[in-house]
Amino acid sequence: MHILEEAFRARGKLMEFFIAQVLNGLSLGSIYVLLVTGFNLMLLVAKIIQFAYPQFVVISMYATWAVLRATNNVILAILVTIVVSIFLNLLSEPIFRRITSIKGTDINATFVASIGLSMVLVEIMSHSLNQGFPISFSDNWVGGSVFRYGIINISRSSIFAWVGGIIVVVAFFYLLYRTMVGRLFRAIAENRHVAKLFGIPIFKTSMMSYLIAGLLGGFIALLLSMLIGTASPWLGESVALKVLAVSIVAGLGNLKGGLFVGLALGVVESVAIGYVAGSWSNVIAFVIMLIVILAKPKGLFGAAVE
Amino acid sequence: MNNNGTTFLKMNNVNVFYDSIQALKNISLEVAKSEFVVLIGANGAGKSTLLKSILNIQAPKGSIKFKGKELTKLHTDKIVANGISIIPEGHLIFNSMSVLENLQLGTYHGKKKEQSIENIFGYFPILRERKEQTAGTLSGGEQQMLSIGRGLLSDPELILVDEPSLGLAPKIVNDIFDILVKLNNVGYTILLSEQNAKKSLEIADRAYVLETGNIVMEGQADDLLNDEEIKDAYLGGSI
Repeated sequence: MHILEEAFRARGKLMEFFIAQVLNGLSLGSIYVLLVTGFNLMLLVAKIIQFAYPQFVVISMYATWAVLRATNNVILAILVTIVVSIFLNLLSEPIFRRITSIKGTDINATFVASIGLSMVLVEIMSHSLNQGFPISFSDNWVGGSVFRYGIINISRSSIFAWVGGIIVVVAFFYLLYRTMVGRLFRAIAENRHVAKLFGIPIFKTSMMSYLIAGLLGGFIALLLSMLIGTASPWLGESVALKVLAVSIVAGLGNLKGGLFVGLALGVVESVAIGYVAGSWSNVIAFVIMLIVILAKPKGLFGAAVE
Repeated sequence: MNNNGTTFLKMNNVNVFYDSIQALKNISLEVAKSEFVVLIGANGAGKSTLLKSILNIQAPKGSIKFKGKELTKLHTDKIVANGISIIPEGHLIFNSMSVLENLQLGTYHGKKKEQSIENIFGYFPILRERKEQTAGTLSGGEQQMLSIGRGLLSDPELILVDEPSLGLAPKIVNDIFDILVKLNNVGYTILLSEQNAKKSLEIADRAYVLETGNIVMEGQADDLLNDEEIKDAYLGGSI
């Protein structure tokens, strides 16, 4: 039995402990939801598998940290983070466009390229940023506890992750279903050929998807830096694997499915951390996802792309 | 042929290749403003390819000018913005989106968006009734109406219509042809590709006959209707 579980069982606080883990999981899940949403958007519209997307989020976290350290100006840090994230995503567009324009390549080529890009970014970060040491954010940025009931402790950053997650998701789906840009996104996602026949500008719309994913990435960087209070050059890759897994388990490119599976992964991971040794939580999460994929190869909610 | 000194649509020596196969061979063709021109020919003669080459969906070699402007180097969306729209074969629409959303997408290059959609509902009242319905659940005829309606919303001057009768019941085909005539009467220029030679020659001003990627004959639609060769090759079976 896990030592924490044992301790709380002894004090009759098992339920409280479980609730605490679920709440933590929901904050982490919000982050996964936002990540998989940006990832799926580029998959659907730009037709790329952007494995390096979480790396851009991590670099943006470094930007947040650098601005806070240099100026201690929160507004400036938020703005710079978002701008850096958008900039990185837009900057990657010509690379992917070049790869997809080569005759005979398909979406898998973008996957391989983005894995390569991800490795390069890890190397650059581990050599050039903070001499490769992990960074940690100030207590002011992370914030303290705002609510405590027994062992249930709700931090400011958790509330930011929940509320921020909900606001961003609602805004994103509003954009997707109620605006012309959203219709263009869905049109290209459904059928690129028909979109072309309609006279829809494929390139411009694709660029818009990078921009929106970049904007999302900026929010993610801010929320994640508050939630975990730290970042390292290796954070992005473990996150990227999970984002990819969430997208596949939900059904590749299935935006609504991603919401559910993203949240579920956060909760499963967090609860697993509570009951077994931390390093096993990844294994448990991935084994569950493996079982789901074996049972439903097109994902729980059906793949939106082939 | 002339409109303010420049030809409306002029294709000059256009060639199109699918990899190593040549689908269009030295096509030269003209369409005047407000004209109704039909391309007839057997399946695989290159009619669809010709229409797609105008929109640069199939990359053309040679020259295609619209109101004096060279189109061959423009992307499809820019060509649509210049006033050409295509109503593709198989009434291609976005099946998972609503009728209204399909029409809204059609207005992307159009100007008076709301008003234009109202106009389309005027042409096709059934689309108003079904505007919240998912487009994929419409009947074939309704999908074709949606496809035509959508094609009008980018404010085109020239409409390319690709095999509108394909897969539709004869009654619906008549309705669709009536609509094309009406659109031509209100000023839209139409270039129609159609296997049903008799029906299309009856409503068109002029026609081109395509065979294996070549234009083998052209002339006034009435003359072609009475041409012995055309009768034998294209009208015999369909009368």
